[in-house]
Amino acid sequence: MFEGFFYQMRASGVPVTPTAFLRLHKALAVGLITSLDDLYAIARALLIKQERYFDLYDQVFAAYFAGKEMDQGTTLALEEELERLLEQWLRDPDFLEQLAQQERASLENMTREQLVQYFLDRLKEQTQEHRGGSYWIGTGGTSPVGHGGIHPQGMRVGGMGRNRSAIAVAMDRRYIDYSDQTPLTAQQLGEALKSLRHLAPVGPADQLDLDGTIERTVRQGGEIELVFKRRLKDKLSVFLFIDNGGWSMTPYIGRTQALFTNARDTFRKLRTFFFHNCIYDRVWEDPRRTQKPVDLDEILRAEPDTRLIVVGDASMAPFELFQTRGALDWTTRQRRTGIDCLRELATRFSKSVWINPILSSRWDWTDGAYTIEMIREIFPMVDLTLAGIEKAVELLKAT
Amino acid sequence: MTTDCSPQFTGTMSYILDPELARVVNAAIRLELPLLIKGEPGTGKTLLAQAIADNLELPLIQLNVKSSMKAVDALYHYDTLTRLNDSRFGDSGRDVSDINQYIRMGKIGQAFTSEQRTVLLIDEIDKADSDFQDDLLDVLDQMSFDLIEVDRTVMAQHRPIVIITSNAKRDLSDPFLGRCLFHHIAFPSRQFMERIVQAHFPDLSQQLLRRAVEVFYRFRAIDGVDKKPATRELLHWIRALISEPGFDPEQLADERTIPLLGLLFKKSDDLMRAKRHTKQLVA
Repeated sequence: MFEGFFYQMRASGVPVTPTAFLRLHKALAVGLITSLDDLYAIARALLIKQERYFDLYDQVFAAYFAGKEMDQGTTLALEEELERLLEQWLRDPDFLEQLAQQERASLENMTREQLVQYFLDRLKEQTQEHRGGSYWIGTGGTSPVGHGGIHPQGMRVGGMGRNRSAIAVAMDRRYIDYSDQTPLTAQQLGEALKSLRHLAPVGPADQLDLDGTIERTVRQGGEIELVFKRRLKDKLSVFLFIDNGGWSMTPYIGRTQALFTNARDTFRKLRTFFFHNCIYDRVWEDPRRTQKPVDLDEILRAEPDTRLIVVGDASMAPFELFQTRGALDWTTRQRRTGIDCLRELATRFSKSVWINPILSSRWDWTDGAYTIEMIREIFPMVDLTLAGIEKAVELLKAT
Repeated sequence: MTTDCSPQFTGTMSYILDPELARVVNAAIRLELPLLIKGEPGTGKTLLAQAIADNLELPLIQLNVKSSMKAVDALYHYDTLTRLNDSRFGDSGRDVSDINQYIRMGKIGQAFTSEQRTVLLIDEIDKADSDFQDDLLDVLDQMSFDLIEVDRTVMAQHRPIVIITSNAKRDLSDPFLGRCLFHHIAFPSRQFMERIVQAHFPDLSQQLLRRAVEVFYRFRAIDGVDKKPATRELLHWIRALISEPGFDPEQLADERTIPLLGLLFKKSDDLMRAKRHTKQLVA
């Protein structure tokens, strides 16, 4: 029963497992479900394990049981769909390239409204071609970002083309709130980051471990054996800077998110700051970069042995690095150039590392090769791979 | 066979139950699966377990998860210290050679060995690291665990009703999620909130109720607040308001005279923001 419902959910990108589906049948068999309301609530509790899929579940449920068409009709629904779809496009460099090449000229001259409208029209086309608009969502798990991390070459028009900033504005609602969103689980990355835990320093083994001593003594029938343990020192304090701005980092958001959640568990004292492309006089503690600005000078006054980790692709237009008015955001006040800010950070915090999601083999070839090179002169740079993270840990560990 | 012997949960006097949640709770009881509850802090995740226990007249066993906790801490504890003490002084009447005498049950162990069915609340499971969840997986799945020291298996005499809460500090693992029913407590609508407040303060005047709830939702909408006030804060605030001598509901009509904002905003930054917002503090 309800197999169609099950497959429709899977097709829409809701991760439902056969086990969960069998449980639903058990619930039916024992007479728990006697009305559509029961079915709605209980099936959801059994099948959906994350609230971010609730909305999608509602749509599939309505489509299947109430015969409601999915994702069609109102522009409002389409706009919500648009966000998801845009993200999908952004994660698919091939498609993006195609899109950009075909439409480059027209994209460059668009305002934000026009751009949204453009995507809406585009979406309507997709809806017709791909049955219910769910096709693109459904491909969620297989985006190339997960295994390849391909740099989207297609969209960089003249380094800092107008289309890029326009898209950045259109993307605004899509900014992923790293702190609140549940993270993607990247198995391999998680393994790599476990090595960051070695950062916590331990002192000499000179503290009597009372519990251990008693346990060992008891096990030896009262023959007292002293057990010592390492003195627990305060764990390291770490400043983590994450580039969550706009376009160029988008393909790497998945991996950056995983890094972020992992980092939060690893250190006792961790402050996270967000920036857009380059660090200037101000960074933000909230991912949206609107509510909680922090002056860089305040950060520069922190203990010099604080470890500094920057996550960013270091790819930007040279003027973002070298001009005092280089910041993309109009609201960013600037006294120093980006490169000066970076230098001051590197001078103050000698244990620092820049983690670049772009694979190191591509650093000389990507669009941002020039600024990557400049920044590598200031910070040791590693890529976001198992080997890279291990190198970063070594760099930060040295006393 | 449809004659249902498992008890039905219907809510209590002070816990207003959302019908959807009631269905889920009853399904969890019937299917004997743990129920994972997520939601904003202060929306009654923990209270739900208390309400279920009250309603079904079962004892509640609450395991407050701590960040340093290991799964075995929740199961049992082998009290080597007492054993050592006994072996040296030997005046306790316990048999030192019998390790069983020195095994004390943790919260989950208590729930398993209880003479009657219990409600087991595992509160804020996300505080502990993922090993904790992984280790609990089998325990909750098979409703049994091993006492390594005496090589004995503890089986649950009565399957407890397991409620797990999470504040989503970190993601729970997929295998863990796969073994639970899941419900997310959405923030109550204004109408539902009025019912909740009424259940807690039956004598509250309609005027004060409306005003307080309205002000509350307006405050929740203030931008940039770190910890938004939730149901718990609202209830505390109202309790403080009505016990405040000389309080007049009219004070809520003007933002500048709303008293006791500190009960709604608990972080000093948030409080300053709220005060600036209401012009109680000039920037």
